[in-house]
Formats: sequence, structure tokens, C-alpha cells
Amino acid sequence: MKRFLKTISWMTFPLLAFMVAAPGAWAQTTVATDNDTIDIRINYNGSTVDVSGNTEDDVDLVIRIDSKYINEKMMVKAKVGGLLWMNSEKVEFQNVPNLYYLKSSADVSKILDSREQEEYGIGYEALAANAAIEPPVDPGKAKTLFSEFIRYKEEGKLYSQTVGGVEMEAGGNGQSYRTTFDWPYQAPPDDYLITVYAVRDGRVVDSAETGLVVKEVGVEKALTELAQEKGGLYGIAAIIVALAAGLGVGVIFKTGGGAH
Amino acid sequence: MLHIYLPVAHSSINIFLPIGLGLLVGMMSGLFGVGGGFLMTPLLMMVGIPPTVAAATDSNQIVGASSSGSYAHWRLGNIDFRMGLYLLCGSFVGGLLGVQLIKFLREMGNADFVIKVTYVLMLGIVGTYMFIESLMALRKGNKEEEGQEEPQGDSRLAKIVQSLPLQTRFEKSGVTQSAIVPVILGAFIGVLAAVMGVGGGFLMVPVMVYLLKMPMRVVVGTSLFLILFTCIEVTFLQAYTNHTVDFMLAVLLLAGSTIGAQTGTLLGKRLKGDQLKILLAIVVLIVTVKIVLDLTMTPDILLTTAGGE
Repeated sequence: MKRFLKTISWMTFPLLAFMVAAPGAWAQTTVATDNDTIDIRINYNGSTVDVSGNTEDDVDLVIRIDSKYINEKMMVKAKVGGLLWMNSEKVEFQNVPNLYYLKSSADVSKILDSREQEEYGIGYEALAANAAIEPPVDPGKAKTLFSEFIRYKEEGKLYSQTVGGVEMEAGGNGQSYRTTFDWPYQAPPDDYLITVYAVRDGRVVDSAETGLVVKEVGVEKALTELAQEKGGLYGIAAIIVALAAGLGVGVIFKTGGGAH
Repeated sequence: MLHIYLPVAHSSINIFLPIGLGLLVGMMSGLFGVGGGFLMTPLLMMVGIPPTVAAATDSNQIVGASSSGSYAHWRLGNIDFRMGLYLLCGSFVGGLLGVQLIKFLREMGNADFVIKVTYVLMLGIVGTYMFIESLMALRKGNKEEEGQEEPQGDSRLAKIVQSLPLQTRFEKSGVTQSAIVPVILGAFIGVLAAVMGVGGGFLMVPVMVYLLKMPMRVVVGTSLFLILFTCIEVTFLQAYTNHTVDFMLAVLLLAGSTIGAQTGTLLGKRLKGDQLKILLAIVVLIVTVKIVLDLTMTPDILLTTAGGE
């Protein structure tokens, strides 16, 4: 009996090892993009970012593109003197990304536990939970301020959270997926991170990530560097060009008027 | 290649939009002698340019428009350099005082409220007064040609003003004033312009017309000449300290505004002083109504970027 069990266990081990290594139910999640570097040239007006890869069978997918988490200062508008709307106080939203796009194959709140959402920073509610507002405000006001923050970002095309639009296709090796993000010109030059989460039974079971770089090149790069690093020189150049343009057009109009 | 990417504003824009805006605002500049910042900055913000970049780039653009307009007016003999110099000295000192006043107001709290109310009241009063006055003048018919003579010395204030020392003859404007008057008025405009964060053209024009009694055509030329200096200074400071001048955007605006300023000046030659005044009054009143609506209507989003005005 003992020998029989030993034989069985020796036979089971390679079988298990084979199952782990075998493709199909144990496929690893991968992610790639067609556009890992977006160059901003003079005629740049936004782009698109295709994200694709493979994942396991029977999972939902959440695909996120975000930038570094920073602190953002904003002004809150309030009615002053019961009459006029104006900027009344300064608040700082801490630990928030400048850009946050999220796509999921199904509603995030239905496929993921809220603790998992928070842990992985998936969805607006998780963003709010992981962020802080300085100076501190009561929870009710914090909620209002954060939802206004999201609306402000959405209006500026820097945040979006959508359900659907992720094509998934079963194959011999797990399933493949593909989705396209519109990449608006409002997304500034920065290093971004694309992360794909495979979700099953309310939990993240696998993930993969890849980078996306948006950068200015050519004239755009030269002008930005000059403006930032040599402000005085840039200012003088801007004034000289404006004066030359103004006086130049003046002279053209003068000769034009005289000749015709 | 219809779109162009603006490196400082981080925004992409159809090139015809800023050229068109420049043409429109430049034309007003040549016509009325105002910088047009009160019109251009909100228009640029409407097309998605951040407020700080809009204001700074607009001052760069005004350098072009006002130099183009000043040149055209100088050729027409419409600039009173002596009066301009006194006003400029005054407004320079006033600007320095105004910046301190803002600091003081901010420490007191509620400064923005005071500033916005002052702005609306000034715009409203100036616009209404100019409108009524020029309407009445137009109705009376043009008995008197432009180029009024000495200020009417009926009021007590006028008598005091006339008894001030340093009486100077301003040939181009055809008036005799104490040199102290334009310096003080310039300082007053400088303070208000600094407090309200505007170039002050719309204040300068009525002050020259009604308080310095200068003829409208000389007012427009002289005002443009003054705005040129103010905006050179502002452009440099914005580029040096805030890095908010978008050169690409400025060039597009300039393409429109320098031509607009010339057209405006030519158009102004065909209009009478009172017609010009009433048109400017209408523009000022429309801007006032827009600002009042912006201030009283509930905003769509209760947050805005910090670092604006």
C-alpha cells in the first residue's frame, strides 16, 4: 500500500508540472501596444493607442492607462456675498494621476471586490479612496469635491472610465484581446503606464504592464526647452518677433497703400 | 496641416482660429486704441488655452498689434508723444502701487470680490457714460468738428486744475494742461490696471477723452502707443517668471492682429469720433454683461486650476 501511494505521488508530480506549463487554462496575461512612443510634432492633433495581448480563459479584463501619482492644487468656486461666484479657497488633491483612462470588459463594481479595486487603484471610487484632500474637509464635502475633480478632468479629456469596447476572442491558447484608446492632444508629454488586469471571481488573478512615452520632438521640443530654461531670452525673442511683425505689416500697408 | 500643436499651452488648435481671432481683436485695437485683452483672453480660454497662457500670450500678441497700429497712427499724426510720456510715467508708478495694494487686499481677505466688483462697476460706468454721451452728441448733429479746444472752465474742479503749476501746451491734442494732471491720471489707471489685472486701454481711452479733453483720433493713437510699452514689459515678465508665453500661438495671433490693426486704423479714419466712441461703448457694455453673467450664473464645474488669476 505504501509503495503504491509512493508510485502514485511520483506519477502525479510530473503530471501536475505538465498541467502548470501547458497552454490553455493557465495562459499568462500579456500586453503590448502598437504605439509605445507618441511624438508630438508641429501638426500633432492627438493619436490612438491600440492595446492588445493574451490572457486566460474565463476572465474579465480591466485595462488602465495612467500617469505618475502627484498632488494637484485647485481653486474651489463658491458664492461670495450671496451673489457672485468666484474662487474662494485653494485645495490640494493628493496622490492623484494627471491622466487616468480605464476600460473594462464588464462593470468594475460588479466584477471586482471593493477591496481589490482599492488595492489595485481600479476605478474612480478606488482613486477617491486612495487620494487625500488638503486641508482636510468632512467626508461629505470630500465626496463632492472629488466628484467635481473627476468632472473637471473628464472635461479636459484627462480622465475616462468606460465599460465595453474590449474585443475578446477565444483561441487555443487562452483568449486574445484588443482595444483602442483615443489619445487626445490634451494628454501632455509624460511617461505613462498601461496595465492589464485579468479578473475572476471578484479578484485580480493576473496582470501585465507596458510603458507609453509621449514626447515633443523638433521645433516643439526646442521651443518648450527655451521657454522653460531661458525664459528671459525667450521673452526678448518673442517681443522682437512681435515688434518686427507689427512694424513689418505697417510698412507693407504703407507701401501697398502708396503704390496702388 | 490645419492643426498646429502649441508647446507651452499643450494644446492643438486649428490655425485659422487664432488668425481669425487676431484679425478681429487687432481691428478693434486699431479702431479704438484698446489692447483688446479683455476680449482676447476669454476667447482663447474658450478654445481650450489655459488662463495663464492665454493672458501672457495675449500680451505678446498686443505688442505686435499695437506696434502695427501705433505705426499707422503715427503716420497719420495721431500720437501725442508728450502727453503719452506723462501718462506713461504716472501709470508706471501706479502699477507699482497697484501691485502693493493687491498684496494688502489679499491679506485682508476677500480681495477677489473687491477686484471683480470694481472691474464690473468700472466697465459698466465707463461703458454707459460713453454710450449716453456719444449718443447725445450724435443726435445733436455734428455741429463741432473733432479737435475740441480748451476744457470748459465752468466747474470748480476745472478751475483748480487750471491753477496747477507746470501748465504745458500739448500741441497734438490741442489742449493746455498742467503736466501734473496726466501723471496723476496715469497713476490712477496704473493702480486700477494692476488691481484688475488688465492692460487698462479701456480706462485710458475714456480718461483721455473726458478728463484730458483730447480729440478721439489722437486718443486712439496715443493709447495704442502706451499699450505697446505696457505689453512689452508684461510679455517679458511673464516669459521670464512664469514661462507662460506660447510663441507658436502668439505668431498665429500676430498674423491676424497686425493686419487687423492696420485695417482698423483705416476704418477709423472714415468714422467720426462720436461714432467710434459709441461703438467702443457698445463693446464695453457687451463685455460687462458677459462678466456679470459669468459671475452670477452657477458654474458648470465648481473647480478650476490654481495658478490662474
